[in-house]
Amino acid sequence: MAGDQSPQRRRDEDEAAAGAGQGWTAVSYLIGGMLVWGFIGWLVDRWLDTGGIATAVGAVLGAAGGVYLIVRRLGA
Amino acid sequence: MMVPRTDDLPFPPSVEEFYPPSLIDGAGYWLTKFTLLVWLAVGLIIVFFLVAYRNPKMVPTRGQWIAETVYGFNRENVAKDLIGHEGIKFAPYFTTLFCFILLTNLFGIIPGIQISPNSHIAFPIVLTAITYVMFIAVGVRKFGFARYVKQSLVPAAPWFILPLLIPIEFFSTFIVRPVTLSLRLFANMFAGHMILLVFILGGFVLLNANVALAPISLLSWLLAIALTFLEALVAILQAYVFVILTSSYVQGALAEQH
Repeated sequence: MAGDQSPQRRRDEDEAAAGAGQGWTAVSYLIGGMLVWGFIGWLVDRWLDTGGIATAVGAVLGAAGGVYLIVRRLGA
Repeated sequence: MMVPRTDDLPFPPSVEEFYPPSLIDGAGYWLTKFTLLVWLAVGLIIVFFLVAYRNPKMVPTRGQWIAETVYGFNRENVAKDLIGHEGIKFAPYFTTLFCFILLTNLFGIIPGIQISPNSHIAFPIVLTAITYVMFIAVGVRKFGFARYVKQSLVPAAPWFILPLLIPIEFFSTFIVRPVTLSLRLFANMFAGHMILLVFILGGFVLLNANVALAPISLLSWLLAIALTFLEALVAILQAYVFVILTSSYVQGALAEQH
């Protein structure tokens, strides 16, 4: 009943479920990184009145950080 | 053929559809169609599992088999496969969560009810709040507060990059997760209900506007039938996804950091 799946099928379902979680984590690192550092960059923009460049730098840094986290946490 | 008058129909459907009126004057938001449906779902699940296990047999009866399949699926594929042996003690909660979300989602297509409480964001928010508190509490209980914060926020990276990464980790783990978990369930149910309203009521509006449009009305209703089947699939899938992600977050909180 509950335990009579063959090991191969269980591994596949296990990987599929873990993959779903990892997929969402990767997306949230990428978008989250750009949002967080883009926001910090925007605050720096308002403080220093630099007209948008700090937001752009922040977004790029955030994207880089997100990619780095994906490679580190989820394996290249 | 009786066709509703168009001035009575709430077309185009608006957000007001998702704020049902209070059923008894003075009860306010505490007694509406949504709260009744939630209590109905709770009652049905309790009664079902009690009756299914009243006289368990070696060769299971149909109700017993359904209950065992649901619990077995949650215990093996959701709890044990994702979390490991420690996960088995979460299996009853995952089973209850799965059944509750499945039932409230399916209310969206059951004739007579035809709306899911989860299409109002309050209900997914509460379910997500339970998941949020749960995975943080489980991690803190296992590792202690300082160690849990350290391993969930500080990735393995050179010290000079850490200030860049820690806000991203915090945002991604403690803000994006609850927001997307609740928003995903809410948006699926909201959009499903909206689209069924558009196609079903639209068929009537077309018919009332001009009788020559009857074939288009028919097409609209056939599409509504097809979309109802899609809604059934979405209902089951969203319940599964919610429980799988809850289990994945608990696993992430319990995982030792290398």
